[in-house]
Amino acid sequence: MKLHEYQAKALFREFGIPAPQGELAETVEAAVSIGGRIGWPAAFKAQVLRGGRGKAGLVKIVRNPEEARTAANAIFASDWKVRKILIEPAISHERELYVSFSADPRTGTHLLLASAQGGVEIEDLAKTQPEKILKEHIDSIRGILPYQARSVAYDLGLEPSLAKSFSSIIEKLFRLYVQKDAELAEINPLFVTIEGTFIAADAKISIDDNALFRHPEFEQDTADFDSDIAREAAAEGIPYLQFDGDISLMCAGAGLTTAVYDLVVDFGGTVANYLEFGGPNYRKSVRAMELCIKNNPKVILIVTFGTIARADIMAEGIVEAIRRLKPNCPIVTCIRGTGEDKAREILVSAGLEPLTDTEEAVKKAVELAHNVYSTAAERPTPDAAAMPGGQP
Amino acid sequence: MSIIVDQNTRAIVMGATGTEGTFWTEHMVNLGTQIIAAVTPGKEGEHVGNIPVYHSVRRALDARASNTLIDSHSSENTHADAAMLFVPPRFTKDAVFECLDAGIKCIVTVADGIPLHDALQIRSAALSCRANVIGGNTSGIISPGKAMLGMFPYWIERVYRPGRIGVMTRSGSLTNEVTAMVVRAGFGVSTLVGVGGDPVPGMRFSEVLAEFEHDPETDAVVMIGELGGTMEEEAAEMLESGAFSKPLVAFIGGRHAPKDRRMGHAGAIVSGGKGSALDKMRALAAAGALTAERASQVGILLTEALKSKNRDAPSANGSVSPLSAKSAEQKQPRQQP
Repeated sequence: MKLHEYQAKALFREFGIPAPQGELAETVEAAVSIGGRIGWPAAFKAQVLRGGRGKAGLVKIVRNPEEARTAANAIFASDWKVRKILIEPAISHERELYVSFSADPRTGTHLLLASAQGGVEIEDLAKTQPEKILKEHIDSIRGILPYQARSVAYDLGLEPSLAKSFSSIIEKLFRLYVQKDAELAEINPLFVTIEGTFIAADAKISIDDNALFRHPEFEQDTADFDSDIAREAAAEGIPYLQFDGDISLMCAGAGLTTAVYDLVVDFGGTVANYLEFGGPNYRKSVRAMELCIKNNPKVILIVTFGTIARADIMAEGIVEAIRRLKPNCPIVTCIRGTGEDKAREILVSAGLEPLTDTEEAVKKAVELAHNVYSTAAERPTPDAAAMPGGQP
Repeated sequence: MSIIVDQNTRAIVMGATGTEGTFWTEHMVNLGTQIIAAVTPGKEGEHVGNIPVYHSVRRALDARASNTLIDSHSSENTHADAAMLFVPPRFTKDAVFECLDAGIKCIVTVADGIPLHDALQIRSAALSCRANVIGGNTSGIISPGKAMLGMFPYWIERVYRPGRIGVMTRSGSLTNEVTAMVVRAGFGVSTLVGVGGDPVPGMRFSEVLAEFEHDPETDAVVMIGELGGTMEEEAAEMLESGAFSKPLVAFIGGRHAPKDRRMGHAGAIVSGGKGSALDKMRALAAAGALTAERASQVGILLTEALKSKNRDAPSANGSVSPLSAKSAEQKQPRQQP
């Protein structure tokens, strides 16, 4: 779960990391008046979870009410669906540093990254001059030791007074990262002001979803979902991703659903949504199909190969879902695994054609999706017949 | 032979008294797995089937030790080689450390949703104890026809046929799909290891590959990977360096996954421009692996790989069975419609 900048900065302050005291505006008028109160120049920063907002012109320094109005208008009018602007006093600085903590799966350690050349170009720096970014592995059981923070500060070439406060910020950021179960905690840029003090100009924190049970203080903002359907699915505990194509995927298992997504694109189709109703959700066929139907798909494609998720129970659920929801699009089924023979009987007796090969099922779905509204002539020819193991 | 788990493995089960735990414990026993004890705090004295339940791992092993006094078996019976964990994600770290502290060197955890920081500590401890922790978010490990620690529908014959192909995978659902193709091409499986779909698996592909390299009854390996992380690249490095010298067929899911979207598994995300499925396939192909775009190609590539291997090294210390390639050849036409 990604936090917005204003939420992350509130955490920074809670853990003793200096961050500007800003205010949120949800309208142009509010933005202009907050700017006036805070004083010009002010930083107007769109609160969005996607990266690249700086390059998209969603972060602006404004010097007077007119500029503020223009900037706020532009930010709210962008296609990024911005609902909040964070307004802070603009800070003059002489240097930009970088510091972050993340996981290193290979060694089972936390990874401290730091650079004396922070800012928006950090990813390029990582490619062109990787030696400018220092790496320190932090034992995940022992935690960070002061010497590690100190060494990084001095190795970056900071003079002793700065090195001292920088290592203290490193330790505080680590404390936050561990106590809040973050998968990423990043300050970029970390400003060194003219007065020689540090202040976090930006803040990026992402909390581990699997650890949210330990953190009731974090609640997903309902406005941060891709769609209303995605929100409903989340409330139901059904893994769901929103797309805008023709075919609704109603599959079981993350790996299989991802592979089916690949095949749909391979065969020239498009995906309306990714939905998994396997694992603990395999009795939720009706709810799953209801979510799919809301996308008004041209086809619903059901592919499973379950172990615990019994095929016969899923087949029963699908037949029940069709009876209750009466979807007005074709449904392609390919249900295998534990109880598959019984599943086949159930599907056949409900008038469905149970397929057993994933590729065949995907091809059929893509064909049907093209046939619904377009003529055969428009239909792209799947190149599949040429592939090994392809079309019989 | 096979790797990590076989009919000689002596395992304990934690969480065997729950519904899922009981169901799969019975199946593990049915397949031939030696389950010597179960552990559920508060339930000592109960039984799961014929398996005695103890409050803790330590008590389970102590009890086994004292039983050997009346047992006619040797004192070797006092230890456990492996532990199977049916423990919820939030208690998994505790359970893994309990097993590691008791000296158990192979631990399988199926829990889906282990907190990231817990997983890092588990990985770290596994490395320093030189133990294999398989999972989480996995179906486990199975050596078909011998034993399993996990939840596999081994009764589905078109997937779980014993043979000489090693399989390692990040996905449970895709495993059935791909392994069915291995079997359809006339092969069988020596051991199937689910490393799991989490960002920080306890055991990585490269470590599983090292085991397969030394298993004389594994001729080739099928890797079922996906976008995200660096495990597939590490496997490519092993091929490149020669640390893994058998044929490797790789299927990587998520070729068309949009950037910065997490595709189902917690570990399945391209971040910072790294870890895309196409990058992985390129790295693997450059290192000499055969890459399959679709599950249906896996069996064909495997047949090719073993044929050319035989041609290149006809007497390769007898480890490559000409029979498997031959039988594949014979069976191949039958699947053509």
